[in-house]
Amino acid sequence: MTAFLEYLVHGLSLGAVYALIALGFVIIFKSTEVVNFAHASLLLAGGYIAVRAQESVGFWAALLAGVAGAATLGALLEWAVIRRYRGADHSVLAIVTIGIDIVLLTELARRIGPDILTYDDPWGDALVTVGSVTVPQTRVAAFVTAALLIGLFLAAFRWTSWGVAMRAAAENRETAALMGIRLGRVSSSAWAVAGALAAVAALFLSVFPTSGLDRATGEVALAAFPAAIIGGLDSTTGALVGGLTVGVTEALTTGYAAELDFLGNGFGHIAPYVVMVLVLLARPAGLFGTRELSRV
Amino acid sequence: MNGPQPLTVTGLTVRFAGLTALDGVGFTVAPGTVHALIGPNGAGKSTCFNVLSGVYRATSGSVRLGGRELTRETPHAIASLGVARTFQNLALSAHSTVADTLLLGRHRLTRSGILASGLRLPRAAREAGRHTERMREIAAFLGLEPYLDAPAGLLPYGVQKLVELGRALCMEPDVLLLDEPIAGMNPTERQHTAALIASVRDSLGLSVLLVEHDMGVVMRLADTVTVLDFGRKIAEGTPGEVQNDPEVVRAYLGEHQETETPR
Amino acid sequence: MSERLTSRLGWLLGGVVLLAMPFYLERFWLQAGVFAMAAAIGAIGLNLLTGSAGQLSLAHAFFLAVGAYGYCVFAGDSGSATGLTGWGLPPVLAAVLAVALAGAVGGLFSPIAGRVRGPYLGIATLALIFIGQHVLLNAHDLTGGFNGRAVPPLSVFGFAFDDSATVVAGVPFRSMEKLWYLGLALLAAGALFARGVLRGRPGRAINAIRDHQTAAGVIGIPVARTRGAIFVLSSMYAGLAGVLLALAFQHAVPGYFGIVLSLEYLAMIVIGGLGTVSGAVIGAAFVTLIPQVLTKYSESLPLVSAPGTGGVAPGEASRYLYGAAVVAAVLFLPGGLARLPVPRWARKGARDKAPAPTSRNMEVST
Repeated sequence: MTAFLEYLVHGLSLGAVYALIALGFVIIFKSTEVVNFAHASLLLAGGYIAVRAQESVGFWAALLAGVAGAATLGALLEWAVIRRYRGADHSVLAIVTIGIDIVLLTELARRIGPDILTYDDPWGDALVTVGSVTVPQTRVAAFVTAALLIGLFLAAFRWTSWGVAMRAAAENRETAALMGIRLGRVSSSAWAVAGALAAVAALFLSVFPTSGLDRATGEVALAAFPAAIIGGLDSTTGALVGGLTVGVTEALTTGYAAELDFLGNGFGHIAPYVVMVLVLLARPAGLFGTRELSRV
Repeated sequence: MNGPQPLTVTGLTVRFAGLTALDGVGFTVAPGTVHALIGPNGAGKSTCFNVLSGVYRATSGSVRLGGRELTRETPHAIASLGVARTFQNLALSAHSTVADTLLLGRHRLTRSGILASGLRLPRAAREAGRHTERMREIAAFLGLEPYLDAPAGLLPYGVQKLVELGRALCMEPDVLLLDEPIAGMNPTERQHTAALIASVRDSLGLSVLLVEHDMGVVMRLADTVTVLDFGRKIAEGTPGEVQNDPEVVRAYLGEHQETETPR
Repeated sequence: MSERLTSRLGWLLGGVVLLAMPFYLERFWLQAGVFAMAAAIGAIGLNLLTGSAGQLSLAHAFFLAVGAYGYCVFAGDSGSATGLTGWGLPPVLAAVLAVALAGAVGGLFSPIAGRVRGPYLGIATLALIFIGQHVLLNAHDLTGGFNGRAVPPLSVFGFAFDDSATVVAGVPFRSMEKLWYLGLALLAAGALFARGVLRGRPGRAINAIRDHQTAAGVIGIPVARTRGAIFVLSSMYAGLAGVLLALAFQHAVPGYFGIVLSLEYLAMIVIGGLGTVSGAVIGAAFVTLIPQVLTKYSESLPLVSAPGTGGVAPGEASRYLYGAAVVAAVLFLPGGLARLPVPRWARKGARDKAPAPTSRNMEVST
């Protein structure tokens, strides 16, 4: 039972981090209709900037630098590439982000090399014990931070003029433009917010119990894709539910790896994808996604 | 099937998220007639078309073609029963040639699959030849012959609307649903297209359900007119009857007055 | 007419040159060529799916793996020493079965591939890549695990595509020379088949689905079933490419069939040109040959250095190149390399395309 609770807490914390990534992914999709395959490398870029900046400015300032860096990179990509696309085919636009991803990931992998970069985070490997359940402090910090950021985002999405503009653009771009909403700003701000959230997620994917940030961290972050799909690509609520689902699934299947041995070594990492396939078989638009009115 | 059958709509209701787009609408398109569906913007005409062609699901009510219930069928199943439609906003592939676009209409009448086409079996070639011939006849009927090799997206709007009509005719339908077939055309084009629709009914014996805002054309072409307002049927009859119906006048004038209200 | 003649002559000349290559090229380039041909076959399949039907797939590498390992299992010997399963079937039969297997696995995924649309499918297919890698690494008796397994050489009616030398016109033909001709024949067949599909009824249907899903259904095209079918066909192309790649590698390892390979295939079709057979072939040649060229000439190229010396390694340099080429192709060259010389009238026409009603008269004769 204790083990189960520990796995569950771990999973919820991990899930909150995935939700952060998935949320950014969904914001980009809602505001620009781009399925952003460069999201994982955006995350890696944010993490890389933060870790590198630590030596000179210390952890907290470096974290800010990473967040700002990833946000700037996101906005820059939107401005330099996405906005220039004149066609209408969204598959093609998704492939453009794959092109970006190839370049970014190659550059980051070359810079990081075989190293494992560690954050000088204030939590270290300290543990928190509540009752019989013991979890690393980093997991608690991850959950609290992610929950705060998500709450902040949803509040902004609902009540600020920025949020109204975002939702209007997601509803109908042409009408929004006619109402005086500047689509360019909406799009680049969406990419910037997504980048910032991803940079925070990079931190929590690399601290204890993980050994650090390496060039495969981006691949770990890919699990946020099934999270977004499970929830429904155009639903912010879906991103949260999807993120938590993926986190808990991964934590439980990894925790009970010994019992799940017959499924092969390392099943925990692919369990989110299996869940995604099952959800898609039942509901092609995801749990909370808008089902298209038209039938196929 | 022996010739066209009546298309009977009864008690058709469609609701989206609390909004009732159609409320118990019923009418019958008699075989071989032009039946017009008119009403102010937002009256539910396009929703009605989308249900008839299987794109939207009805909340309740029924659509029958002869003895077949259509509301539970998928769009392609409805197409295979002989119902064809055009779209108010063009739905053409910009890069496909007019010939290919028209041949698309032959999809349900042809069989060549991936294997036959990939291996270029003689069967596929014979089929393609036969249907290309019929496609050319239809193109000639519509005056589209000069454009057959041009990409559809590069043609003037009026011609593109005719290509849509041609694609629907290529399906050899029994019932033709036309969603604003002459909108956006210039007067010459309107006249030609209206004449074509009349001749589709007269020479091919099809039933036509027509949504159109141009009242002159509706009054000239239609055998029967059904008027919708806010998702409800408010009148039905011959063009003459409907024109003098007080409800209809109110629906149209009411809308008119609103737009003229000084700000 | 003359244009057609020039194009025919071009094809003929190209064919002759390709047929003569094994007499002049060293093994390194022959192998690079066979890789390029295998990639071209795979890219044709992906282009049918992504370029023509508008369905994004990141699972292409997975289906290549199904083809490659399927062939190994069907044709391989079951040795108790290696602990590997092998059915010991005749290699040709094994190759055919491997392609069929790739198609069958694609069919299993078609409930999703048929109903999930466009870029959304791209994410869904990530599942196949990761589940595929998991199976490749864990099913030791089928795949040999991390270290992979040897690929049994192909033999057709006693003629073996192995390293036993057959001397033709004074040139010893070993495996690569023979595979070159096999690859050329398979590529030609695959390209002709795909062209037939695209120009025929199925091609029109998938283009319609890509451009107007709703309209396609209303026209009478069963959208989900057609998408599913094209996914199966695309998987079979990948399977065939996988068999040929395995034969050229002579050893199949799971690491090769990861997500990076899928991204490379997408890069190929975008760079070459979406939706066309020739685009897939050109793109495949571009993406597979660049790293080879850079590796071969790394000393004499600026900015590129041999792997492990600290600079930009040839593999990295080529990834920068094709990653940037993907972005550039989409933004500046929508037709890809295959449509590089854009006819003047098409360019002008596209600009004049009127989205709004025009007042031009129709020339309708009634």
